[in-house]
Amino acid sequence: MSSDLQWLLLRKNNSFLVKRVVEGPVFSKESGNLLNINSFKYSGLANSKVVNVEDQAGSIKIHTRKVKASPHAVASGVATTAIRPRSGSRRALGIAAAPAKRGYRPDLRHATLARVSALVAAQREPKPTPAKKIRGKKAAHFLG
Amino acid sequence: MASRPTVSVHSSSGEASTSLPLPAVLTAPIRLDVVQQVHKSIAKNKRQAYAVSEKAGHQTSAESWGTGRAVARIPRVGGGGTHRSGQAAFGNMCRGGRMFAPTKTWRKWHVKVNQNQRRFAVVSALAASALPSLVLARGHRIEKIEEVPLVVDGSAESFTKTKQAVALLKSLNAYADVVKVSNSRKLRAGKGKLRNRRHRQRRGPLVVYNEDNGIVKAFRNLPGVELVNVRRLNLLQLAPGGHLGRFVIWTEGAFGLLDEVFGTFDKASAFKKDYFLPTAKIANPDVTRLINSDEIQSVVRPAGQKVQKRPWTQKKNPLVNKAVLFRLNPYAKTLRRRELLKQERIKAKNAPKPKQPAAASKAFLEGLFAP
Repeated sequence: MSSDLQWLLLRKNNSFLVKRVVEGPVFSKESGNLLNINSFKYSGLANSKVVNVEDQAGSIKIHTRKVKASPHAVASGVATTAIRPRSGSRRALGIAAAPAKRGYRPDLRHATLARVSALVAAQREPKPTPAKKIRGKKAAHFLG
Repeated sequence: MASRPTVSVHSSSGEASTSLPLPAVLTAPIRLDVVQQVHKSIAKNKRQAYAVSEKAGHQTSAESWGTGRAVARIPRVGGGGTHRSGQAAFGNMCRGGRMFAPTKTWRKWHVKVNQNQRRFAVVSALAASALPSLVLARGHRIEKIEEVPLVVDGSAESFTKTKQAVALLKSLNAYADVVKVSNSRKLRAGKGKLRNRRHRQRRGPLVVYNEDNGIVKAFRNLPGVELVNVRRLNLLQLAPGGHLGRFVIWTEGAFGLLDEVFGTFDKASAFKKDYFLPTAKIANPDVTRLINSDEIQSVVRPAGQKVQKRPWTQKKNPLVNKAVLFRLNPYAKTLRRRELLKQERIKAKNAPKPKQPAAASKAFLEGLFAP
């Protein structure tokens, strides 16, 4: 079954659609949709090749479709590469760009990198806010 | 055509053991519009008649007072001694009146759908249930299962215990869909609560069997799970709400029987007289593949030079900028040149003539020279 036809069957009605704003953008929250936008290009359902980036307990996983998998295979048709925790953004982005580099959905390279770097940034512990310095009269009063 | 695709049969421990060829029904054309239309009509066939009482709003002897009494001419209840006397009656706008167009029990409750359309819809819904993307899009939790269509081996038909059924679903990683149903159970809004429809919940997997050796009793108590014999597949179960892609779990016997129940594209069904599967209008709906095919590529003109549009430059106004104007309209150059020449000519014509010095007068010339 061609992905064009599948897209026509599910574009208007599926369980992942998010229409919050009237006349606003239509979002889609299925896994494999890198921008969460309801469009054929980014759809994680209709396309035969999908890049799915997710965070599993600190380790970022990038799922792609196995090249020779039958279109009927679900769990067994997915290949997973992992970015180990604390591997740093440069290595993470290198791994994220690997599918695009070998010609697997090169059009999704930008979106994949964006999603991975957002996850990497989210994993980083925020810097502690520096303690407030006492200034002016108070400083003279407290510090002498 | 390449070799016929196969579907593996999963044993009760979850591993794929043998395999079966994919039945032709599961490659039939999927027509969303047909399924929705047929579902809408078929869903009406279980309705029970209802109507308001024939007498409602007419159990009074009201008559109009006619004109001249400074009230509306609507029928009014006669007599005295009660609040009701003098009140308007009968009309749909009246308190205590009948409704507008009182409902009748002889409304057309059922809708006939042509047999071929019904079969088309069932076949479409079955084909949709064999596509992982459509099953996912319907909201079934099938991310962890091995493949779609999911076929289990024949021993499942003789399960008699729900415990066995749960174990089977767990080993197939399909139990998540039952859990989803269980979690979705909510109290229904409205009067349905009093009418034996107290809760509402999602739909889970549909188990299709060939022979009931206890499988129905084993599975039927699981929330959301429905069972059906492969010979009696029903659109209301295959596409609930008219939405394609029900998660179907087949037993081996049921899956093997599909080619007999629905026939194939060139072999009539054994159960439905003279029934062949509908054929698709186009053999290949893959747009990219069509565009890149030799047939199309051999007749299209070769791509010309790429026109690089410079996206971030300032747009020039051709009414102001000469160079841009001439690029858009080369004749403008000629027009402009002519206009300039014309202006020059007019200017030359209207220019004040230089004063010819008048010839010196005779008296002056005579006085010029000394005698």
